[in-house]
Amino acid sequence: MPQLTLLIRGERHVIDYEPGPSLRDLLDTTDFRVRSACHGLGACGLCRVRPLDAAIGAPTPAELLQIDPSARAAGVRLACQIHPIGDMTVELLDPAPPSDWRTPPPGLVGAVSPAPSFDRPPPPGIAHPLGVAVDLGTSHLTLAVHELATGRRLGLRFGRNPQGHHGADVVTRLVAAGNPATARQLAGEARMAIGAAIADAAQREGFDTARIARVVIVGNTAMLALLANRHHQLLLQPAFWTAQLDCTPTDTADWARDWGVAPGAEVEVVPPLSGFVGSDLLAGLVASDLLAGPAPALFVDFGTNSEIALWTGAELWVTAAAGGPAFEAGPGRCGMPAESGAVYRVVFDAAGRPLGTVLGNDEARGLCGSGLVDLVAGLRRQGVLTLIGRFADGRTAYPFVVGGRTLALDWRDVDALQRAKGAIGAGIAVLCGQAGLSLPALRRTVAAGLFGRYLDVDNAKQIGLLPDVPGERIELAGNTALAGAVALLMSESTRAALLHARAAAHCVNLAKQADFDTAFLEHLYLRPMSV
Amino acid sequence: MVNAGPVPPASPANGFSLLIAALLAGDHAAALAETRQLRALGVPPEQIVTAGLEVAMGRLDEKCTVEQFNLLEIMLVGRAVSVVVHELYPEGIQPEKGRATFVIATLEGDVHDLGKNIVRTVLLGKGFRVVDLGRDCPVDALAAAAEREQARAVLVSGLISTVVPQVRRVRAALRARGLDHVAVVAGGAALKQLAPADLDVDYVAETAFDGARYLENLLAAEEAAA
Repeated sequence: MPQLTLLIRGERHVIDYEPGPSLRDLLDTTDFRVRSACHGLGACGLCRVRPLDAAIGAPTPAELLQIDPSARAAGVRLACQIHPIGDMTVELLDPAPPSDWRTPPPGLVGAVSPAPSFDRPPPPGIAHPLGVAVDLGTSHLTLAVHELATGRRLGLRFGRNPQGHHGADVVTRLVAAGNPATARQLAGEARMAIGAAIADAAQREGFDTARIARVVIVGNTAMLALLANRHHQLLLQPAFWTAQLDCTPTDTADWARDWGVAPGAEVEVVPPLSGFVGSDLLAGLVASDLLAGPAPALFVDFGTNSEIALWTGAELWVTAAAGGPAFEAGPGRCGMPAESGAVYRVVFDAAGRPLGTVLGNDEARGLCGSGLVDLVAGLRRQGVLTLIGRFADGRTAYPFVVGGRTLALDWRDVDALQRAKGAIGAGIAVLCGQAGLSLPALRRTVAAGLFGRYLDVDNAKQIGLLPDVPGERIELAGNTALAGAVALLMSESTRAALLHARAAAHCVNLAKQADFDTAFLEHLYLRPMSV
Repeated sequence: MVNAGPVPPASPANGFSLLIAALLAGDHAAALAETRQLRALGVPPEQIVTAGLEVAMGRLDEKCTVEQFNLLEIMLVGRAVSVVVHELYPEGIQPEKGRATFVIATLEGDVHDLGKNIVRTVLLGKGFRVVDLGRDCPVDALAAAAEREQARAVLVSGLISTVVPQVRRVRAALRARGLDHVAVVAGGAALKQLAPADLDVDYVAETAFDGARYLENLLAAEEAAA
């Protein structure tokens, strides 16, 4: 991959990048954003940079208009008008102020396949209406802004769910919400985060939030219940885990006012399927067209709480496996979410030393899920890790150098990964048991969620995170929940497909399955999955 | 080797070493084979418990104290211990043969019973009779089992704090059946944040081994008093 060397107020940062987007769009996925207010059209003139050593073509008409001749003579350009192709050094003349929001790296958000039909009319009376699709996850919030008439995407934002300081996991947050004041605070935090992400997109992409005519929100059941501040305490009672739970908000007019969207905008929280299976799964199923494609098909939405669906061609089995936060911030020393500073890919050099690639920054802060999978699979191949997940030579941590820093893979990181994949593997085994299927029968496996397209399928298969089926039957789909929510903004037929999936689904509670414990143990081993 | 007892002609000492190694390695097939070997040499089940399982549990305790076990290893040891106990006592340990009976459950409202299963393993390994009521267990079913099984103590685990009100009801449910002498021990992520008085229990265990030590000390104190 070519490298961008960035000079920012005397600091120097080097990041890897994939050519294609404009410099502004590339920087938007990193910690080094430039100012911007026009969706990269060249209309605002804020994203000034000075390329130092690269041949990048003549100034565009927009640059001739925005940059006066003396600045042009000094080499000033607009980041939105430059499309880097090779190694390049560039000085950022006007860095953007710090923000909690980023454009997700390419490949983190999935596309809807096949493309949805545009058969859902926007609410009347709003000129040039926009729609906002929101995936409200336990750890992160992802949001997309689209023109409702054309489907064109105006912005994509990704940031942490600010409720995290009340607890990283769902249960801790639900317990905290037992206090009505805390529940109101949690609801407010989620609502304000949606508003802040919309505001960040509006400012940088140059649109008026009053054009927003429709907001569609999907998420796991607990997040939707906390957002609406309704019925979340029922989720702590097992009797409600497979029951339907009403998370329909009652105060969306207030939300619309807080967010500055059009008066009369539709705010829609897509109802979850049950206490433990949210509308994020339903949206993912329609985004990947699971019920209309080849069967049998397996769908796994990887996360702290992984949701799993198995479509036999006639029946839809769904469940959720609470695998723990191994892929985002495990109890070990080096886990972190797929944010700037995360090592998302690890390969090994000829001497067997791991080499990492860092997301959106040049300083590695930790390993995100796909990097952890690569490292553990590689160490397993080398015999450094055993089948049981111990270091063969008795050590308790494996230090390695990446991005100028030494990180240590701790045995707890490996243990947490085993627990997460053990729960997912056992969930898949239980669903296959319900459906009377074995893994080789699968014609399609969709791996959705936080790995995006960064997961190495062979490594994932080797340690048993994905079924051991031919690679061409495995699709890395990214955030399908958001893709499905985008389709719901504009398409009645997507809504019909979602209702179909909802009606077809049978929820399976893993905790009630007699053979779950045995299946869990078998899937803790670092070896290919077999069911 | 502790408690060697009357030794059959072919010394079982090596068999005990192999059994302990197999248990600690979580190799249930090898542990079962060694157990059968020892039985074939005429070693009584009680001695296999005291000189095999208990020694292995002691070593596991030491290793767990320095936090060197991952979940898979603990579950594999648990499975090996269960297999050996089932081989020795296929009908279950009868009350008069074991050292004491404990009833263990994850209470209603909580289905996370991994921790409870580890405690069961440790207690089985130490030769106690353990009646496991599983997960999502009503408090009244726990008290009824304590009465029926003549339990010396009941153990309840809870991962999530919504189970706390259920734990607080255990003592009263036991008293209602005249079981004032039955000790109540709590453990698990949610419960160990709280003091015994908050939960109305006799002891809140930090770990499975901590809970087992409390029960052993309790029984030892009673024996000394008797």
